[in-house]
Amino acid sequence: MSVPTVFLESPNGDEIKEVEATTAILTPLMAAGWHQVPAPPKHETVILAGKKESN
Amino acid sequence: MANISELINGWGFGRQGTITSPSITTPNTAATIWRHTNLNTKPWAKVPVNEDDRAEIGKGHEFPTQLFKSHYNMPTYELSKYASSEFLAWVMSFSLGNVTVAGSSAPYTYTIVPALGATNPTGLELPYFSFVQQIRPGGSAVLDEMLVGCAIKGWKLSIKNSPGRASAMCSCECVASGQYTSPSGITLPAASTPHEFNAGMISALTVNGINYLTGGSGKQFVSLDASWENNFRPGFFPGSGTQDGFQIQGRFEWGDRTFAVQFVVRVQAGSSEYSNLINQTTGTATITFTRDAQNSFTMTIQKMGFNVVELSNTDGIATLQVTGVQLYDATNGLVTMSIVTPQAGICQ
Repeated sequence: MSVPTVFLESPNGDEIKEVEATTAILTPLMAAGWHQVPAPPKHETVILAGKKESN
Repeated sequence: MANISELINGWGFGRQGTITSPSITTPNTAATIWRHTNLNTKPWAKVPVNEDDRAEIGKGHEFPTQLFKSHYNMPTYELSKYASSEFLAWVMSFSLGNVTVAGSSAPYTYTIVPALGATNPTGLELPYFSFVQQIRPGGSAVLDEMLVGCAIKGWKLSIKNSPGRASAMCSCECVASGQYTSPSGITLPAASTPHEFNAGMISALTVNGINYLTGGSGKQFVSLDASWENNFRPGFFPGSGTQDGFQIQGRFEWGDRTFAVQFVVRVQAGSSEYSNLINQTTGTATITFTRDAQNSFTMTIQKMGFNVVELSNTDGIATLQVTGVQLYDATNGLVTMSIVTPQAGICQ
């Protein structure tokens, strides 16, 4: 079963990432001020080690 | 006349407004309100305050002659519940502020950390919800009102050695702006059936390197109390609004927040709590309840040390009362709550 993903926006709003919704991945990002946003209408997903980054 | 047992409560599991456009004045719609029982048997009182002119000279005497509308001084209100996946997800989301929900169908996983003022999209403000209280709602209601613009001031989570639901309790203190609608216009749904936890469902209990669930310290644990306080600043300001001619609060901004954890363990040969205190050892603390695959709760304190370790007596057994100090970790922050629950839309 694949890990669900969520979209997070950077604290200053200039970047959106799609990441796996695990506590280990979400915690440091959310602690740094990243917050969830709806999926952007069009995005390309690049799977990195344990993470997915969207443009 | 009505018995207080007829009082029913509902409140917004979703936030007022939207994530991108939060609001303290826009009430929840019925679709985002759930109904729960409450161990606090009191209704939420509204307290309008009048002032008078007794301090003013020029009347010819010292006595007051007129009343003036001042403000709504809303008392805090306690929601006291047995800990459940639904209620914990709600309390933690609305009290800490930075919430991520994952999953396209039940169960949903909520990951929650304290928002920081520097990066929070709503500054120092947390999400708001509406609170509905009713006695015999309908044409001749004894009570039917919706308090708008409520927020969670703080919470307490208690775990103890006892049987049943009381072994895991969660309560929260709520504040309200003073805005309300009466009648509420809300038809509350049937009371929810939360998926409750008890202490027997604890599946992980490790504090600062000591595993209190298995191994040599497996039978040491007695009780734990954790609490959060947002220390809201008063929300009266120019333009904050009025209700019935009385001023209401237009925002709740957190002040210096506090996160406290205390726990009690039995003393045994080689207990390492003292050495952790003296050596200033720090580590994570993880407490997990697992009811089933659909319902779990994990609180991960990212960096915990011990402030006080005091030898004591708990019901005739030698114990250590430990006061933790929760340190802010540069990478992982203060604390992370991870909750799996069938309830969708919490704080959304």
